[in-house]
Amino acid sequence: MKGDLCILGIESTAHTFSASVVTETKGLLSDVRDVYLPPEGRGIHPTEASNHHAAVAARVIGEALEAAGVATSELDGVAYAMGPGLGPCLRVGAVSARTMALALSKPLIPVNHAIGHIELGCMLTGAKSPLVLLISGGHTMVVSCSSVMWRVLGETLDLTLGQLLDQLGRHVGYSSPCGRRIEEDASKSHRYLPLPYTVKGNDVSFSGLLTAAKRMVDAGEPFEDVCFSVQETAFATTVEVTERALAFTGNGELMVVGGVAANKRLSQMLGIMAERHSAEFHVVPLRYSGDCGAQIAWTGLLEFRSGVSVPVERGGIRQSWRLDTVQLPWRSGA
Amino acid sequence: MEARHGPTPLEVGRLKLVYRGAEADIYSGDWSGEPAVFKFRKPLPYRLPELDAEIRGQRTVREAQLLHESRSAGVMSPSLYYVSTIESLIVMAEVSGPRLKSFLESPGADTEGVSAEFGTAVGRLHSAGIMHGDLTTSNAIVNERGIHLIDFGLAVRSVKVEDHAVDLRLIKETLVGAHHDISAEVMKSFLEGYAGVVGDDRSRRVCRKLAEIERRGRYARVE
Repeated sequence: MKGDLCILGIESTAHTFSASVVTETKGLLSDVRDVYLPPEGRGIHPTEASNHHAAVAARVIGEALEAAGVATSELDGVAYAMGPGLGPCLRVGAVSARTMALALSKPLIPVNHAIGHIELGCMLTGAKSPLVLLISGGHTMVVSCSSVMWRVLGETLDLTLGQLLDQLGRHVGYSSPCGRRIEEDASKSHRYLPLPYTVKGNDVSFSGLLTAAKRMVDAGEPFEDVCFSVQETAFATTVEVTERALAFTGNGELMVVGGVAANKRLSQMLGIMAERHSAEFHVVPLRYSGDCGAQIAWTGLLEFRSGVSVPVERGGIRQSWRLDTVQLPWRSGA
Repeated sequence: MEARHGPTPLEVGRLKLVYRGAEADIYSGDWSGEPAVFKFRKPLPYRLPELDAEIRGQRTVREAQLLHESRSAGVMSPSLYYVSTIESLIVMAEVSGPRLKSFLESPGADTEGVSAEFGTAVGRLHSAGIMHGDLTTSNAIVNERGIHLIDFGLAVRSVKVEDHAVDLRLIKETLVGAHHDISAEVMKSFLEGYAGVVGDDRSRRVCRKLAEIERRGRYARVE
């Protein structure tokens, strides 16, 4: 299959260890994941998660290659999530990728995890240069591409949407990620309890909302009603700042990516809003909304095609790595 | 408030939709013979109705109050003609001229002078204890009389350094996001105008707070 660029991607920023193989013409060939699940009522413990990743790494990578029907000799490069994320977890992915790059004498390609969400979303939905709402456990941001960088038009000033839902869920004993259970609980209620609605310019803030919601739970309000009210309030502020950015940029495309994009109520609200502005609305397919190797492999392929790679000795990790600091040479034509 | 009889201001103003904003639709029309802007906060269908009604009412009242106060502070902004919480409607004088956003994009514009004037206006607002809350380059209009601030929909009364820094942060965010090439020079002139009103000491404190807020941003830590 020479002539068709083939990249292996490794994702390990948080609870998911995943590997994927993509090629330039065939797209995604495989995407294998193994997710660390914390005990009930707990969040991700970085060390425990990294132990999990180390234990499954070799098997997951092997399965990804096997499912793709690709031999290691056929790879053109090894991409990995350099950051942002949890240090110990990132390290497992980085070590795996460096080892493979060294052993196989293949180029090593560092990928920003957040940009991975966006590029995979564009590839799967056909969006070209959309306004992007990136919502996950690590991000709540509205970005648009200009002068070959993603520029942030609005973001959270404290917690992300994913953290808000996780911390609310853990308060009643759920284990992370709690988004799906909160969504199920919320769907059983229509009783709105007033909560702080915080929009500051183009930014949102959820910490006051979380405190107020926990107090409601402690005061004995039914959890379904609290979930319903938290979703309605937090999503409305998020959609509002997204709408501001859409009106401001005049972009005709809106795309939502990241783990929280799986929430149906949120995408319903975004869809109604996009229609108001006659913008095309794209939601990343459910299977690829969460963290996965495919986002790293695909972005790695775009980078590699533009000549991006690092020598193995510089293939470290960057726990704090904002997406608005990354050059996007593959978008220079856009 | 009691129910109104007869036509509403929306019906008599011979309105034309000029801008569909995020939270309000802007119409141009006529108010007692004067060209006027009708800002109508329509219900947002994605928001829960009870939450929506509360937010629209609250913002309409506050916007009208602070729009009025901004003029007392010496900031050029539209004069107020009419307010109604029944329709979430504010009618105000029309300010002619391009938005600062398109002004900055036009070739040969006096970027430096206008940016400094923008800074002066924001300085006056802050000195009067008002945070604008939505200072993007779409919310300022440039004409021969100078720079006018519009859209006080997210404005609040505040003298806090933090809140004033949030205003400046949005300006900076907008400049970097939408006017990347000239953002540094615009920001520099803006701060000169700003410090000219609030004083160097206060301006430095607000800028320090701005840097602190940026460091608080997610993944912004220096490695």
